[in-house]
Amino acid sequence: MLRSDHILATVEMIQKENLDVRAVTMGINLLDCRGGDVRETCRRVEEKIGTVAAHFVATCDQVSKKYGIPVVNKRISVTPIAFVGAGFDRHGFVELALALDRAAAAVGVDILGGFSAQVEKGMTATDREYIASIPEALARTEKICASINIASSQKGINMDALALIGQTVKALAETTRDQNGFGAAKFVVFCNQPGDNPFMAGAIHGLEEADLVLNVGVSGPGVIARALERLIHTKGRENLGLDDIAEEIKQTTFRVTRCGELIGRKVSEEMGIEFGVVDLSLAPTPTVGDSVGEILQILGVDVVGAPGSTAILAMLNDAVKKGGIFASKAVGGLSGAFIPVMEDAVLAEAVGSGALCLEKLEAMTCVCSVGLDMIPVPGSVDADTISAIIADEMALGMINNKTTAVRLIPVPGKEAGELVSFGGLFGASPIMPVRNVGKSHRFIAWGGRIPAPLHSFKN
Amino acid sequence: MGKQMVMSVMSKDRPGIVADITGVIYQLQGDLADLNQSVLFDYFTMILIATFDDAVTPEDVVAGFSHIQSETKLEVVVKEMDTPMEVAKAKRLKETYVLTAQGKNKSGLVHRIGLFCYQHGINILDLATTLSGDQYTMILQLDLSQVKSVDTIRTSLTGYAEESGLTVVLQHEDIFKATSEISLF
Repeated sequence: MLRSDHILATVEMIQKENLDVRAVTMGINLLDCRGGDVRETCRRVEEKIGTVAAHFVATCDQVSKKYGIPVVNKRISVTPIAFVGAGFDRHGFVELALALDRAAAAVGVDILGGFSAQVEKGMTATDREYIASIPEALARTEKICASINIASSQKGINMDALALIGQTVKALAETTRDQNGFGAAKFVVFCNQPGDNPFMAGAIHGLEEADLVLNVGVSGPGVIARALERLIHTKGRENLGLDDIAEEIKQTTFRVTRCGELIGRKVSEEMGIEFGVVDLSLAPTPTVGDSVGEILQILGVDVVGAPGSTAILAMLNDAVKKGGIFASKAVGGLSGAFIPVMEDAVLAEAVGSGALCLEKLEAMTCVCSVGLDMIPVPGSVDADTISAIIADEMALGMINNKTTAVRLIPVPGKEAGELVSFGGLFGASPIMPVRNVGKSHRFIAWGGRIPAPLHSFKN
Repeated sequence: MGKQMVMSVMSKDRPGIVADITGVIYQLQGDLADLNQSVLFDYFTMILIATFDDAVTPEDVVAGFSHIQSETKLEVVVKEMDTPMEVAKAKRLKETYVLTAQGKNKSGLVHRIGLFCYQHGINILDLATTLSGDQYTMILQLDLSQVKSVDTIRTSLTGYAEESGLTVVLQHEDIFKATSEISLF
């Protein structure tokens, strides 16, 4: 029998704390769609997505209504497209992107991810053509997100690819100049990219996955923030220690994860496709009250970026994992707190006030997922400096055996402190200053690889 | 297979009352199936189901209970069940929802929610209410298996909530199981 206090606690979470399921992402294998030429391949890709995902959005909506819990984003991830389009030139890849965009629109999903490649050790001729296609492909499509894995703990960092990526990010921003470089917000560079992440822009359907799979991203940081506020209000600050706070985070995450898993499993049951993983990541949105930065403030730093921010984030990230892993049959994806600057109003504000700098953000990414995310930088920052910022972040992931990623937007024609807004879930922020611009050219010019690191002698 | 009886007992609460009531059933060689008891302020109530030999009559059971000492007279109702327990249990429903309604206390709240359920073809399986200060909380477990569209119910509930000044939330039981119990799937 359900106890009334449990019922009321859950009702509170649903009603006052806006519990939702952040993303249900359907992974689709497209390797069997390769045709004799670009046109045939595009046709097969559209046909396959149109068939297997025909009822995806409707099913999510139906389950969401039955349980009274909103499913905020319905998305698709596909096999990294460089494998699907092996042998295509850049124009072929642009055609593939357009086909994916049409398919995504036809089935009504918000975003489709997987316009991607994996080049952590070396690049094929196809990979180079794919990279060359990215600016045009993202500028000409609405719903497509791209990502590339250029480093891993097993293989090291591909510095040739890294040099190209700095130029690609610049070109992407330039191609979408009239939208403040928005194209760059749809492209993310990874170290140790997971193949089952439901969150964008980095979702792919990994080569290790089954034909079709459903992954779920749980509710955002707002629920945790409200639970902590309530705990502090009821018990009083003076009666609480950080271990009590960590316990509350764990318990709230448990509940949040159970709801995510329930909804995900029901959708997968209805659709008759395999349930993959629950991703425990706390993904903020620009909405007030749905911010990871706010949790840091509740836990004791007056501004995000102040000393202590990294320690709090470490505790938050760990408590979220402890609660979530016990709650779910299978956890995967990124599963950590995100700190995407533009998508988190409190982080954006800290950038504006000068409290939060790039270097502190880099330190914070050592203890959480996923990396330097959604950071607008001045359009004057050169490609090699961008590559070097990415290199530092890749090194963190490589050495620490974790996923790290970079999504920088060099906003054309704008300088540090100016406001840039993409609207909706992509948010807004003042442009982050970058120090020591133009001083890493000789490093990036080396190319080659940073060899894979040792996996013992860990001090 | 014996005779199945449903018994309801109400009295002022005191230590030992459960032992006394179940003692009567034991002496009559009854086999106790399900029981549910509750105490509200100082008053105790219990509903029980048990199987007796064919020779035992409801009157025998009432007579047994009449010997129990209580500050107030023990109110007892005993009836022979017309549906076998197994059949009644098999009706266990899949579409069970939990409705919570909270707000300022005033008269007629439970009646109005009861009426709402009746008018929409909803059976109330369980209902508990608490009054804390001037805040009244009702928690209802509902069977929506006869309801065509949960959406329609939700829409009507929004109207009901506005009209009654209550905060009303309707959620599938699975959500509460997921968040409050360890094993579900």
